Amino acid sequence: MKTKSIEHIFTPPAPHMVGDGFRVHNFIPGSYGLSMQRMSPFIMLDYNSKFYFPPTDKPRGVSVHPHRGFETVTIAYKGKVAHHDSAGNSGIIGEGDVQWMTAASGVLHKEYHEQEFSKAGGDFQMVQLWVNLPAKDKMSKPKYQEITKENIQKYALDNDGGIIEVISGAYQDKSGAASTFTPVHLQNAKLNAGGKAGFSFPAHYNTALLVIEGSIKVNDEKTVATDNFLLFKNEGEDFTIEALEQSVVLVLSGEPILEPIAAHGPFVMNTRDEIIQAFEDVNLGKFGYLD
Amino acid sequence: MFQNFKNYIQNHSDITDEQFITISGYLKSKVIKKGEFVLRQGEICGYSFFVSKGLLRSYTIDEQGKEHIIQFAPEDWIIVDRSSYFFNEPSELFIDAVEDTELVMLNEDFITQACNISTVYRAFNHKALHSHIRHLQKRVNLLLGATAEQRYLDFIKLYPELTLRLPQWMIASYLGLTPESLSRVRKELARRNFKPH
Repeated sequence: MKTKSIEHIFTPPAPHMVGDGFRVHNFIPGSYGLSMQRMSPFIMLDYNSKFYFPPTDKPRGVSVHPHRGFETVTIAYKGKVAHHDSAGNSGIIGEGDVQWMTAASGVLHKEYHEQEFSKAGGDFQMVQLWVNLPAKDKMSKPKYQEITKENIQKYALDNDGGIIEVISGAYQDKSGAASTFTPVHLQNAKLNAGGKAGFSFPAHYNTALLVIEGSIKVNDEKTVATDNFLLFKNEGEDFTIEALEQSVVLVLSGEPILEPIAAHGPFVMNTRDEIIQAFEDVNLGKFGYLD
Repeated sequence: MFQNFKNYIQNHSDITDEQFITISGYLKSKVIKKGEFVLRQGEICGYSFFVSKGLLRSYTIDEQGKEHIIQFAPEDWIIVDRSSYFFNEPSELFIDAVEDTELVMLNEDFITQACNISTVYRAFNHKALHSHIRHLQKRVNLLLGATAEQRYLDFIKLYPELTLRLPQWMIASYLGLTPESLSRVRKELARRNFKPH
């Protein structure tokens, strides 16, 4: 097996607000070199780096909006988020939890800071990822997986190096809690200072790291600081992460979906006509109702 | 700064790049945040506002403090209080930004110069006035005589993408409906599996 070589390390782009509750750095597809095609099946990644929201009586967030053609995955590191959708699902995720919503044929949803968290204020840190669906599944039935931290399998590294939490895919003998439509590995490496973990994913999988906390050395070669995003080349399989201090790293690796992408706002389909259809369907109430 | 406006005006006239440069001295551009005003009730509307990026709306506020939305202006639309602008009288309208907006402000000097340079533009400007009157006439007729469903179907035809950019209450306000009635209209269309074509 060959070492997976590093393509580029991206510093976080200037943040912008999504609604009034999410202050995000958009890495995918906004950064040059991280297009939807290059990063497939990961077609969007917004990172709310650790940010303090002061107390408020009116929860901050994003009001009702539709999605069609993909899945939204929210990974909470700090703070709490409440979710409601037109398929009737709702839930609250907090530190260590993951919400995996398959929008597929279409849902309306809204996301807000959880009420008590809003009242108290506090540090907020999350990743929202959009995972594309293959054409055959884009119009399947919406579903919702709430994955609490208790349900996420953890692999303990040797020498008290830390743990790997397997959200989806697999690490050694541990398999992910989330079901996916195509191979998607999503894992949190929570490493102690000096802890080291090895990973292996096929060369053609699009693979990247986001340093949530601390700083790391990858392949004994490059140092990556907090909030930076590392993209691997599509060459080689194996890489290592060594924590230079207590660190948390989101590891993403997925098999690219080699189909045309037509994207507009909250819709990601295969053709322009399907996007126009999505607008029409939303306007005619076919995504259901949500206040 | 004026690129989108230049594209717009060249799509509707034979004004050349050189001619545009000479008349662009009469234009002003402005960037405003969501919620900021370009016109308040009682002020004289001295400009037409072309939206390069973002979304503006015009509206009145009644004695109970309720807003009544007259028009939305997304990209490539022009919004103005024509009565205040033409008759130089205090405006009845507010115009503010629904989203962060980049706009171009056109005054009478610009329009006059553009009309002098290009008869095609003069004809376009004349037609735009009558299109506006036609639109207003249709809107009055819909508000007086049409069902909530007819008004909504007309709205999504005119502004197919705006339903994703506007809160429900603004769409309802534009249509002269309550948000609850608007929700019922959509529910009913979905129940009938309505096809607009």
